[in-house]
Amino acid sequence: MAYTLDIFRFDQATDDVPHRDRVEITDLPDTATVLDALEHAKAEIDGSITFRRSCRSAICGSCSMNINGTTGLACKTPVKTVLRADRSVGIDPMPNFQPMKDLVVHMDPFWDKYTRLKPYLQPADRDEDHERERRVSPEDMHKLVAVANCVMCATCYALCPVVSVDPAFAGPAAIAYAFRFIEDVRDSKRKERAAQISDDYLWLCAHCYACSYCPKHVDPHDDIIAVKRATIEEGLTDAPGPRHALVVAKTVKQTGMLHESEVVQGTVGRFNIRGLIKQTPMALRLTLAGKLPPFFLKPVPKVDEIRLIFDTLEAPTL
Amino acid sequence: MIKHDIVVIGGGLAGMRAAVEAAERGADVAIISKMHPVRSHSGAAQGGINAALGNREDDSPENHAFDCAKGSDYLGDQDAIEAMADDAPRQIIWLEHRGCIFSRMPDGRLAQRPFGGAGSPRTCYSADVTGLVILHTLWEQLERFHVKVYEEFFATALAVEDGIGTGVVAYNMRDGELQLVTAKATIFATGGLGRVYRKTTNGYASTADGTAIAYRAGIPLMDMEFVQFHPTSLKENGVLLSEAARGEGAYLLNSLGERFMFKYAPNKGELASRDVVSRAEWTEILEGRGVDGCVFLDLRHLGREKILERLPQIRELALDATGKDAIDTPIPILPGMHYAMGGIETDKFGQTRIPGVYAAGECACVSVHGANRLGGNSLLETIVFGARSARHAIDYIKGVGEVRPSERTLASEKNRIAGILARRGGERHSHVRKAINEAMSDHAFIFRDEADLKVGMEKLRAARQAATTMTVQDKSKTFNTDLINLLETECLADIAQPIVLGAINRQESRGAQARTDFPDRNDEKWMVHTLMRYKGATADPEPDYSRKVTITKWQPAVRTY
Repeated sequence: MAYTLDIFRFDQATDDVPHRDRVEITDLPDTATVLDALEHAKAEIDGSITFRRSCRSAICGSCSMNINGTTGLACKTPVKTVLRADRSVGIDPMPNFQPMKDLVVHMDPFWDKYTRLKPYLQPADRDEDHERERRVSPEDMHKLVAVANCVMCATCYALCPVVSVDPAFAGPAAIAYAFRFIEDVRDSKRKERAAQISDDYLWLCAHCYACSYCPKHVDPHDDIIAVKRATIEEGLTDAPGPRHALVVAKTVKQTGMLHESEVVQGTVGRFNIRGLIKQTPMALRLTLAGKLPPFFLKPVPKVDEIRLIFDTLEAPTL
Repeated sequence: MIKHDIVVIGGGLAGMRAAVEAAERGADVAIISKMHPVRSHSGAAQGGINAALGNREDDSPENHAFDCAKGSDYLGDQDAIEAMADDAPRQIIWLEHRGCIFSRMPDGRLAQRPFGGAGSPRTCYSADVTGLVILHTLWEQLERFHVKVYEEFFATALAVEDGIGTGVVAYNMRDGELQLVTAKATIFATGGLGRVYRKTTNGYASTADGTAIAYRAGIPLMDMEFVQFHPTSLKENGVLLSEAARGEGAYLLNSLGERFMFKYAPNKGELASRDVVSRAEWTEILEGRGVDGCVFLDLRHLGREKILERLPQIRELALDATGKDAIDTPIPILPGMHYAMGGIETDKFGQTRIPGVYAAGECACVSVHGANRLGGNSLLETIVFGARSARHAIDYIKGVGEVRPSERTLASEKNRIAGILARRGGERHSHVRKAINEAMSDHAFIFRDEADLKVGMEKLRAARQAATTMTVQDKSKTFNTDLINLLETECLADIAQPIVLGAINRQESRGAQARTDFPDRNDEKWMVHTLMRYKGATADPEPDYSRKVTITKWQPAVRTY
């Protein structure tokens, strides 16, 4: 199978701007992965092509890169599945990172997000009090199984549009790791952890589901929702993010619809005069356009049925 | 210059366990690693870690030690084996207390599964990602103790002054500068050497760097001829499918659909020790009962639910590589290079013959695995001996004053690397690597004989000559992996010959060393370890058979499964 690798080339020490090289691959089996093709290119054609890799079995997380515009693990991506119409594959470094050389990026901002979590178990009691293992039911341990498969490849971080506009956002991988401790029955810092991840802009997540594309099926988006829920359970509701979530739910429960003016007030804060004044230009523009939402909303017919859904979901589970 | 009391080379399980032990005890410790610690190949370990917790059946460290001694074909040093088996339950509890996500029994205790060569189910696990969860737990502890990690630093030489180890010289991959790393104690934990073979379960990074550096500095390598071929690696890419599959009940089938293992191991069948199973598979293939050079791993009867719960990773790895779903299709597999029982010679505290230099994990040879390692013992070795070497190092450095930075080692390494970058013509390092791989895979595989090994030895001599002329295309200072690959190939070139020469000299069959011209074990003559000393970049190593095997409780006996 013959094809062309169209590779992003850059050296931070010597290049002002990147360029691209096209490398022809002619003699690899059909089953070759993008990583196999890169290895072959480096070994036989151009030794200066630079990328990270190690395990070639999707467990070390080194070879995450952008392949035809989508980030993923090169070792888990067969070339034949990503060939473009002109029989080429575009290979770029992960977005949301500073390139260092070719496909190698500076990972430090990503690791820093983990460090901020204090990512280690903090039990309530002392280890010495336990002669043997702490007992954990299979069900409680099972909650951690999916996130335990995370290989920290940063694919989700590279795909996250919120990270791209606000690098202070913790990003999906770190939030999933916060979930790993928040849900661990052996840990005693649920509230502190929830507060920390809230400070790291948990509520900026826009629920776009980009991070659900995960090479290890961790699906950090599920964990983000769970962590948001945990912050509310821990009473950390005095911030625009949780206030917004709560008031949306409240108005839907009351009226069967999104009560927008109520949502704005609830999110900004009813007594946050300065915040509300800031909203007035938008309110004026909406009024001029004839789109100002009503201040009072009549519940929809059969709103009882909607409330029943809420009551059912809010009931404590057995 | 970088300076710490203890420097650990390598950020996998053994290295991190050593660093955490030192940090917990308040020592000034740092890790030098060519990768971020969570990228280490320890994370690819799937099946589990052994400890006689007795959660499922009555068990004892003594039973565990006996299984190791027998599994080692009586070449393991039994004092070290007993130390490991005794410490195992404590170390597993230590990991659990730090949050390791182990699978559980219904009553909340740690689950344990059966593994090859073991008298009872004593392998603790986390589905089939055991290495990964332990790797993360240890990395979390590095974060907790703020252990400094010099990430993407490649160690190039061990510094020795007045016969004492004083640290290493390391190449910072991010800026291309060599730095002197001065330490009162240096602990090598650089992992395996799988890349010396053409097909291996090991990742690209398993290139024997620490092994080669220690060897060049005068520390002997021990028992290098004992190379473990794992019975179940994927034909397509050599990727590992865990022994946990057979532990959970998977069958091995030949082309006739027979469960052939009971011909070779009437009691244990598929759960005989790895050397026995690999030889059986290869015999089936050689005798024409394979399919395209493979036999089959059959999981079908385990059922979808059990496969998805306990073995999800290997199902996906097989699916990715072969397009076959193990839930309804047997997977073609064959034995593949997996583990080096041999390595840097140490005593049971991880000490080498150079004071201040330690080794732990796969790069070390204590020896607890002897001629064949049992599944579930490699992770255990990293944890037990990582911690032990750090404890010993902490005591050792109390008696050491300031160490003299080895400026001359730094100077000679600067010269050497500059020389490599300036070389012209010569061989492409990837081609030298291929020549080494060919010599090893074609002439020092599962079944060996003298004539064939000698051909391999001759090919290696030629490859080492060629290795002195290797060149790079990338001359840059930023993340020069072309140069790193060349330095790794030099390491492989140096440690290949001790494997083959050891195999030639040892005229017996024991554990993973199967000589067709000497099919029997010879306890009269060969209850000794093989030591190999470095004699130069192109000179053959010098063998030494003065170290006898330590026996405490179990005399060599006939080994059947």
